[in-house]
Amino acid sequence: MAETKRKSRGEAKGKRGKPSKKQKKGTDTRERKGPRLPNALRKELERLNPVDEGFGSDEDQEEVYGRDLYEYEEELPEEESKKNRRYDPVENLEYQMPEEFEDENVSSDDDNDTRNAGEDGVEDEDEDEEDDDGRQRTTRITSEAFEGKKKKKNNVVISEAYPESEYNPTRDMLEGEGPVSIGDLLDPLHGVSGYSKLRKRIHHLEKKSVPTPAPLPKADQEKLERKAAYEKSKEELQKWEPIIKRNREAPTIYFDDDMDLGFSTVGAIASEFEPRTEFEKKIASLVYDDQVMEAHQKDGSRLLELNKVSAEDEKDRHNRMAKMRSLLFRHEMKSKHIKKIKSKTYHRLLKKDRLKASSTQSQMDPEAAKELAMKQEYERAKERMTLRHKGSSKWTKRIKERGIDVQDEGTRTAIAEQQHLHALLTRKMNSMKDGSSSSSDDSSDEDDVDVYSAGSDQARASKLLEKAKEKTLNLLDEDDEVPNSGVLSLPFMVRGLRKRNEAAAEEAKLALHEYESWSNQLEDSNGADNAKVAPPSGRMVFNASKKEAPESSNKTKSDNKIRSDNYYGNSDSEDDFEPKENVDIREDRSSDLQNDGSINPVLLHKESKNHKDSLFKNFDDIVQDPGPKTTHEVSIFASGTWKKMKGGNNADANVNKPTQPLESVVLNQNLQEPVKDLDEDSDADSEGQMVDGILTSDPKVESSYELPSQAEIIRQAFAADDVEDDFEKEKQEVLNEENPEPEKPVLLPGWGQWTHVQKKKGLPSWMLQEHESAKRMREETLKKRKDAHLKRVIISEKLDKKAEKLYTKSLPYPFTSKEVYEQSIRMPLGPEFNPATAVGALNRPEVMKKPGVIIKPIEFEEVNPYERIEEQTQSGKKQKKRNKSKSNSGKNGTKVKTKLKN
Amino acid sequence: MGVKQDDGSIMPTSEQEKISDELDIRVKKFLRGEKTNLEGLQDKKLKGQLAVREELFGKSAQAAAKAEKWLLPSEGGYLEAEGIEKTWRIKQESIAREVDILSARSQYDIVLPDLGPYTLDFTSSGRYMAAGGRKGHLAILDMKNMSLVKEIQVRETVRDVVFLHNELFFAAAQKKYPYIYNRDGTELHCLKEHGAVLRLQFLKNHFLLASINKSGQLRYQDVTMGGMVANYRTGLGRTDVMQVNPYNGVVALGHSLGTVSMWKPTSSTALLKRLCHKGPITAMAFHPNGHLMATAGKEKKIMLWDLRNLKDEPLQTLPGNADTLDFSQKGLLARSTSSFVQILRDSSGTQNYNNYMTHKIIKGYQVEKVLFRPYEDVLGIGHSMGWSSILIPGSGEPNFDSWVANPFETSKQRREREVHSLLDKLPPETIMLNPTKIGTVKPQRRKEKKTKEEKEADMEAAVEAVKGIEPKKKTKGRNKPSKRTKKKQEIVANAKRPFLEQQKKEEEQVARKKQKVIEQVELPTSLQRFSRKKSAT
Repeated sequence: MAETKRKSRGEAKGKRGKPSKKQKKGTDTRERKGPRLPNALRKELERLNPVDEGFGSDEDQEEVYGRDLYEYEEELPEEESKKNRRYDPVENLEYQMPEEFEDENVSSDDDNDTRNAGEDGVEDEDEDEEDDDGRQRTTRITSEAFEGKKKKKNNVVISEAYPESEYNPTRDMLEGEGPVSIGDLLDPLHGVSGYSKLRKRIHHLEKKSVPTPAPLPKADQEKLERKAAYEKSKEELQKWEPIIKRNREAPTIYFDDDMDLGFSTVGAIASEFEPRTEFEKKIASLVYDDQVMEAHQKDGSRLLELNKVSAEDEKDRHNRMAKMRSLLFRHEMKSKHIKKIKSKTYHRLLKKDRLKASSTQSQMDPEAAKELAMKQEYERAKERMTLRHKGSSKWTKRIKERGIDVQDEGTRTAIAEQQHLHALLTRKMNSMKDGSSSSSDDSSDEDDVDVYSAGSDQARASKLLEKAKEKTLNLLDEDDEVPNSGVLSLPFMVRGLRKRNEAAAEEAKLALHEYESWSNQLEDSNGADNAKVAPPSGRMVFNASKKEAPESSNKTKSDNKIRSDNYYGNSDSEDDFEPKENVDIREDRSSDLQNDGSINPVLLHKESKNHKDSLFKNFDDIVQDPGPKTTHEVSIFASGTWKKMKGGNNADANVNKPTQPLESVVLNQNLQEPVKDLDEDSDADSEGQMVDGILTSDPKVESSYELPSQAEIIRQAFAADDVEDDFEKEKQEVLNEENPEPEKPVLLPGWGQWTHVQKKKGLPSWMLQEHESAKRMREETLKKRKDAHLKRVIISEKLDKKAEKLYTKSLPYPFTSKEVYEQSIRMPLGPEFNPATAVGALNRPEVMKKPGVIIKPIEFEEVNPYERIEEQTQSGKKQKKRNKSKSNSGKNGTKVKTKLKN
Repeated sequence: MGVKQDDGSIMPTSEQEKISDELDIRVKKFLRGEKTNLEGLQDKKLKGQLAVREELFGKSAQAAAKAEKWLLPSEGGYLEAEGIEKTWRIKQESIAREVDILSARSQYDIVLPDLGPYTLDFTSSGRYMAAGGRKGHLAILDMKNMSLVKEIQVRETVRDVVFLHNELFFAAAQKKYPYIYNRDGTELHCLKEHGAVLRLQFLKNHFLLASINKSGQLRYQDVTMGGMVANYRTGLGRTDVMQVNPYNGVVALGHSLGTVSMWKPTSSTALLKRLCHKGPITAMAFHPNGHLMATAGKEKKIMLWDLRNLKDEPLQTLPGNADTLDFSQKGLLARSTSSFVQILRDSSGTQNYNNYMTHKIIKGYQVEKVLFRPYEDVLGIGHSMGWSSILIPGSGEPNFDSWVANPFETSKQRREREVHSLLDKLPPETIMLNPTKIGTVKPQRRKEKKTKEEKEADMEAAVEAVKGIEPKKKTKGRNKPSKRTKKKQEIVANAKRPFLEQQKKEEEQVARKKQKVIEQVELPTSLQRFSRKKSAT
């Protein structure tokens, strides 16, 4: 224990840089001087002569006691310390030096003191004062410095490990020296540079100094300390308040909004690249080698120089390019051409197809048929002239020479085909002369079809005749053409041809005459003026065929004709079921015959007119305008399809006509006739009037389209009687269903009470009361209903369980009143309901941040606390700006953190 | 332009005030109600949040109002008479002389005398029209280029046609069942469950096809999934007056007893029944904003009803019959009887309708249906001899919103919109009289059965209350501790009794119900001994 003490003291002495310990010791010694007094007494003493009194007296006392004590205590510890050989000699040696040093000091001090006591030297007076003051200061300093440590003891300053006592005296006491003053400490520095300055300062301090007040109790001190610290930290934190307030009030907080994420360009990335691995470094060293760079730059410039090309070179290049291009082009053209070439089979098939198409076309169209015939005839003639396929060509000759059997399949077939063709052509020529019955397969086919479809001998005959006639005429026409070149243009050939033509013409004329006479005969039998017109189409045949149908009216005929047309033309699905449909509609129409009747007169009227015209014209009319008078359109823009539809409808309507009673038709017709004549020209008017006339004649049909049932009629008739009563009853029922009326109180006689008593008293009061209250309850609940004050309205109070999920069960948290909540949700927020400028602001989330970006702690900035919340977006921008600067400055996140700690 | 006006350098102050007033009205419309009242709020944070929100709402409304005021391409108009002229004396011919070629083109008559009176329906954009002839003629027309898209003849009675969500599909109520066809006339579905339907309506936002059949059954069918959403017996007899309220999707039926009932698919009883007329109801129509209903009765009266503020008396009673009624987008009301068409207009803006235009088609033509074409000043009239189209200035909305309905829609846009509308399809339970109530706090039930926990909590509370009472200090002999404890126990038991009794009663009821069920399934006595014995209860 003692060792440690020693040690510490020794240390304190050794280290001059630590004056505090020594000073403390000084004070200690000062305090402890004097006789041992009980605490109370000592306090009393202090009170009597407070410290303010002055140092002189104190000093005096000190001196007096100090000497005594010094005398008394000197020996013992010295012996103890020396005798106890427990110290390292080395340590001792080490410590000796400072001890000596101090000793010197002390002695000098002592001298001073003694001198002071003895004579009060004038020259040293102020110095002495200085000393005293200095000591005083040291004490004050120590007290201040150790305020934190010693709080329990008032005036006692303890520096030693153990409280001072007779067994454990201070070193000063032991060594017999007085307290150390600053002056003592300063003296050795005399002469060192800066000494005077130091002295001056100390002097200045001593002058100002006030007596040391007693340190406060520890608790109070701590409290004060905390208070000060709190004030400080409060101040520190308060400056953040506006920022925090702003952020709290902001509807949206932006975090690092302007952070530059990633590199914008490849160049930027490349510039940021730093070689890390061995390999990269190696490459970098090669790439960024100065010599290489330089060379590259130079090369670049040199390359530029080399880039200049002479005109000739350029020309050469140009020519070469052109040549290549033309070659390419030629090659391309060739390949195109090759690609276009189709195989033989393809051509054959194509030809076949064409033939087929033309044949079908010829069936349809007389013009085409004529053309086809001409063509074929020409071909035949050509064949006759050239004998191209006879086998006289060079190729066939060669083949024949070599022998057909030797040839491969393809050539054999080709030759066979050629022969066949030749045979065909020549045969046709021969057959031609025989008669006109089957000039070509196609035409005969066509005839067959026609014949079958016609289904009548007469028609067939006439048809045949016509065909024949046509053919002969064709031939006549055709033969006029005389080729001007080739073999045929030779004079003898021409002569021969002409001769033959003449013969043929003669024959044809004869034939024509014959046909005419035959057809005349046919027509006579028919009794129609059909023969006069001989159009080259197949339509005439149909007409003729229809003749045998019962001639009810012109209209039906036209109708049929349209239909038959459709059969042979595009097969319209609608037409297929037409007959059936007609029947159906007829059934439907049974109720409103009148309506059809309205159409009839017009038809009949027209019909009569039409009879006067020639049949042919009539047909033409119908074909051009299938919609008869009744369906005149007012529509200006109705499309063609529309028209057609109407035509179809009309046809349907017309079919019904025969079922109607004739008398009414006639009547109507009579009525209509004059009106009709008047406004034939204006369609709409005539129609309106016409319909008007008929509809007014029978208004009942048009007013209702379906007859209401008997019950309905009755209900309608009596509906208006007591509608209100009914409704009231209904309402009452609904009310009763929800809150049933309380049952009337009834009492079983003989139960609960004596019967005679019952009779007298009536029902017991509690029963009545119960009934009354139930009634009242019901009324109250009824009054609460929404329709309580509405006589003619029933609002269902039924709860819709499915719709319940659309409501909130309770008010959401921050809201306390229902009204405020409901008003706050009144505005829709979607882009459909808000202008584009507002949608973003309305739907912005509370926090805006970029994913993957570290959110840095908040940074202090000056904010005007009275700034309105309105400028939230602006503040956001501000923050952005700040962030930008931050990002520019680099990593300052940690810095901010430390700042926050402060 | 706006900036200049703000400065006031161009316009005189009076003009400016007028504009600002007008803008204020529009802003009010876009604010959709009162601003939140922040006065009474205690919570400062909430107050701040709501204030910010309100400000945003205000800005949004302002922007919308300005856009509506200045940016809309065309402005609506109407006929204005000068001097002794009367608007209803102006004939279609005189209108035709004044209007542009394109408008004049929409005056026409299509005469189709054979297939009966025609009923019409337009798509929401007004581009396509479906026409259904009574005798089986169905046609779809493109109204823009006046071409027939497709027509078919079904050869049976067609009572009603209605387009589904776009022009690709339409439903026709035929003799026995309603059918759904596509644009090409292919029959897609036969809705046999509906029966002989008299009237069809399509709820666009909910994708429901509503029908009323001959026996007075109202059905809702989901056309996306095909499920039958609801099937209710109205119990009010046969009716062919049915109209859907475009605002909330509620279907209204007019009955022969003069009542109008309103229905939604999730409630088996009518939401609302109101006695409107003394005679049977012949026609009905809803204003597009859903707040006004017009009904016509057989007793020669047309009545206008306010649907928000229910009252016994109508807003207005007009004399006259109507076989068919229709409101235009701008709120004109067309009514028609036999061959006479009248258009009424709310000229003062106070829901006081008076005569605006009249039109007579050829006498004897029986009007089946009048229908305003959306986004055009055109009224389609389906009658017994085809259909006609006349010009009614000021009937259609002059500006279309291509997000809502685009008359110039391309097929791509149509597809896009179809998908969007399917995604935005509303469930059937969102149909209610006041759809703005969705999302609000659930209305208090009048009487709710308490749960078991609640009952127990009630009982405990009652017991606690009783326990707290200090018993009286009785005379010497009666104040023994044993007696006091006894008394305490008694008090507690008394407090519990009513609850326990109630519980017992309920249990008994449940048991009785159970017993009933059991009795029904009970075996004959002879076989009972073989039945497995139940575990002891």
